[in-house]
Amino acid sequence: MTSVADHEGDLAQALDRLARGTKFAELFAESGAGQEVRLDSKSTTVTVEPRLRGFVFRAWTGSHWTEAAASEFAPRSIREAAERIEREASRTHGSAAPPGESATTRGSWTAKGKRSLRELGPEGTVALGKELLGYALGSPEIKEAQVALAWEETDRLYLNSAGARCLQQLERTRAVVVPMAIENGRAVADYWSQGGIGGLERAPDLGEATVRRTAASTRALLAAKAPPAGVTDVLLDPGVSGTFAHESFGHGTEADQFVRDRSYLKPILGQVVAPEFLTVVDDGTVPGGWGSGFCDDEGNPSHRTLLIDRGRFVGALHDRETAAILGAKPTGNTRRSNFMSRAFVRMTNTYVVPGDRTVDELIGDVKDGVLLERWMSGIEDPLGGQMQIKVRKGHRIEHGKVTDLVGPMALSGKVLDFLRAIRGVAQEPATEMEPGYCGKGHSDYLPVGSGGVHLLSRAIVGPA
Amino acid sequence: MTGAAETSEIAARVAEQVHLDVPWDLVGERTRRYEIHLQGTSVELERGPIDVEGYGLRLFRPRNGGVGIGFQASTDLSPEGFRAVLADAESATRHAEFPAKSIELPSGKPAPGGSEFLDRKLWEDPAEALRGYVHALVGGFRGKSGAAPTFGSVKAVLREQSMANSTGLRVAFNSTSVELELGVKAFGGPEGRPPGEFWVTRSERRLEPSRVPAEVEDWCRYAADVRRAVPPPSGELPVVLPPDVLSGILPNVLGFRFTGWARLRKLAPEGGTPLAAERVTIRDEGAYPWAPGSAPYDDEGSSAGTRLLIGQGKVGGLLYDSLYASAFSTTSTGNALRGRFGPMSALRFASRPNPSSTTLVLDPGDAGGLPELAEAAGDGVLVTQLGWAQPDPVSASFGGEIRIGYRIRSGKIAEPVRGGTVGGVVFAPPGTRSLLANVEALGSRVELSDALAAPPVLVRPLTVAGASS
Repeated sequence: MTSVADHEGDLAQALDRLARGTKFAELFAESGAGQEVRLDSKSTTVTVEPRLRGFVFRAWTGSHWTEAAASEFAPRSIREAAERIEREASRTHGSAAPPGESATTRGSWTAKGKRSLRELGPEGTVALGKELLGYALGSPEIKEAQVALAWEETDRLYLNSAGARCLQQLERTRAVVVPMAIENGRAVADYWSQGGIGGLERAPDLGEATVRRTAASTRALLAAKAPPAGVTDVLLDPGVSGTFAHESFGHGTEADQFVRDRSYLKPILGQVVAPEFLTVVDDGTVPGGWGSGFCDDEGNPSHRTLLIDRGRFVGALHDRETAAILGAKPTGNTRRSNFMSRAFVRMTNTYVVPGDRTVDELIGDVKDGVLLERWMSGIEDPLGGQMQIKVRKGHRIEHGKVTDLVGPMALSGKVLDFLRAIRGVAQEPATEMEPGYCGKGHSDYLPVGSGGVHLLSRAIVGPA
Repeated sequence: MTGAAETSEIAARVAEQVHLDVPWDLVGERTRRYEIHLQGTSVELERGPIDVEGYGLRLFRPRNGGVGIGFQASTDLSPEGFRAVLADAESATRHAEFPAKSIELPSGKPAPGGSEFLDRKLWEDPAEALRGYVHALVGGFRGKSGAAPTFGSVKAVLREQSMANSTGLRVAFNSTSVELELGVKAFGGPEGRPPGEFWVTRSERRLEPSRVPAEVEDWCRYAADVRRAVPPPSGELPVVLPPDVLSGILPNVLGFRFTGWARLRKLAPEGGTPLAAERVTIRDEGAYPWAPGSAPYDDEGSSAGTRLLIGQGKVGGLLYDSLYASAFSTTSTGNALRGRFGPMSALRFASRPNPSSTTLVLDPGDAGGLPELAEAAGDGVLVTQLGWAQPDPVSASFGGEIRIGYRIRSGKIAEPVRGGTVGGVVFAPPGTRSLLANVEALGSRVELSDALAAPPVLVRPLTVAGASS
């Protein structure tokens, strides 16, 4: 399949033409390839990633942005998309300059895996998958399991009329294991997942011990008790703590919500919102992070942005427009899900920085509470400041001891109350970015990483 | 052919290049997407058309006593592009395995009549239709002093879908779909409370600007109620769930567990098993009028049908596509659906089909509307919107944060509640508590909400986690 760079000449020519007829124009183009091998006890599926490619032009009409896109790089398609933009621009009569500064970054970057699944090929990947599946299905009471091993490689090209040119080639690899236990018509599942930009080295724990451990934890879920319902102490495991960072101070600090007057955080920028041992960061430069990249989709370099610095809310995530309106600088957080989707302010990798307590100390601080483990999802409420986090399982904590295993739970609460109630953040080894997908609302999903360390606070929990 | 305009029939064109001695099928798709994004009541961005054309080829080669299935999709419609797709799909067949002796693909039975999948006005002039809808939407807030939209988007997709296969099937149809997202903010007033938001998200087949004024009234009322809402109490309480909440719960679980896919993995319930209250009957209806999951054909070209999943509380049938039907020597129920989670979810051609539900229809009862269900509940909670129920399809557990709901006191809908969670399991082994087993009453009127047509239901009890334990 041809790369986007093969069509750069035609695309750049059309962009030049657009730039002459508008105040600013830019192009985003992408092409991708990849493969997923998925196995269970009954079938093996090899999916070659669809050969998809496309481009989108965006231009400033003098009053608003307009876009046109197509999935075909033929000169005719490129010309037609540019003409649509020109027609829209001529329909509107604004004369304002485009908001914010136009990026001028130029560069080419490549991130390839050291142990690439691509080099392993479908035969080798299926063999690896069967070995892992065998460990899961060989475990007592595991009646079914799924193993997925996937890689994808995307070329992303950004050009604009101010001279920016960013070409990124990113390889992502992900491994997932989902054992299922079935007993008397009841089914339960646990999961394990690792991945990042690179090859299998981004799933360092993939192997027999991990699969057997996940199978054992799945089996145990058959005997899990009902979780408590109500307000209680909550100890978040590192993955759940990463989800907290993402949902609380991730979405809430996407500055387009500030501009929309839709963020409860906007009036409290600069204020102390949490104990001084809490620091939360969004960082698109994390090596191998699932949400990392070299530059964003407005051509700004990736960046590490402090959101909460030792308890003080200090920063937000910006694109060119929000930065201009709010007197800030772009933070490298403008992302398109793909050429069909619009650019938004988005997170990259969001995480809680390690603190100074041991996990045992945090557990010892809990008289009656619950440990939340294995995140499933989260959702934010940028205006109301509520958050919901769902987990696959947990344990009761009673009088400083971890006791009964409990089933799926949802955590609910006001973020600012949750922050004020934080009693400790664990000092643990380097934060690992867990791979996930994030939507803006319920669409525009793209890869993001989140991570953290154990964190103790108080919230409402109930079964989910 | 069904629909208002001539389809692009990509599948038929690509099929002319397929010369294989094994079963194969093709889905072709041309989509044109138009979007308007709002910042407050101003247009922030107009997008479109965003043109995407592509197809997916699936083929089945005998392998190890079953079949090896190859699939590849592409937006490259050239002969060179097809050769690359074929090579990828052939390569995959050599490593894939599926336990079916042979595959029986649909041969093209006539589709049900009607064209309630396509908004003609939208199809004929999408940009203007979208602008007209946005005009109505913005106009709905004119003169409102305490409420306004913060942001929103209206996205329309015009889809031309075509299918072809090795049995000679050649079908095509057109459809439209619309997604609305809107943040409605309530603010101001003497009470000094923080603002409140009601977040509207929904998928439909058509634009209906005439509905907007009444809907805006409801949205503004919910947003205003958010401002004074407090978490509900904790406990095992009777809970009233309207269709908008049920649609985030039932399809995700039943559309997974009541399928041939689940049966093959021993995750599907046995026929005849009592899993729900006797008053519960649920069907899958592939051509339910104006439902976003409706179409004259499924994504393999089988004509849409109706399938009983739960009849008077007992498990009826399961849902099959051609592949899983072949594994069990039965026939497809017209439930092959394409689409995948994630960045490419808008492109149906880019993924292989799997059996799933189209539109679930829960039969109504005779309990009236929300006031009557509240009266039957006595002391409980009416949940108007959940944060994200996101059920786990394997365990069937569900739950989420109450975004807005109402306390029910002495049989009356009372003050608003917000925060806290409601949850449980959708169904469980016989004799065990679950949402479906504990349905105490069904409302009298069915409403369509995304992939579910249902009345409001009263469940007694569900676990509510709130402010006090």
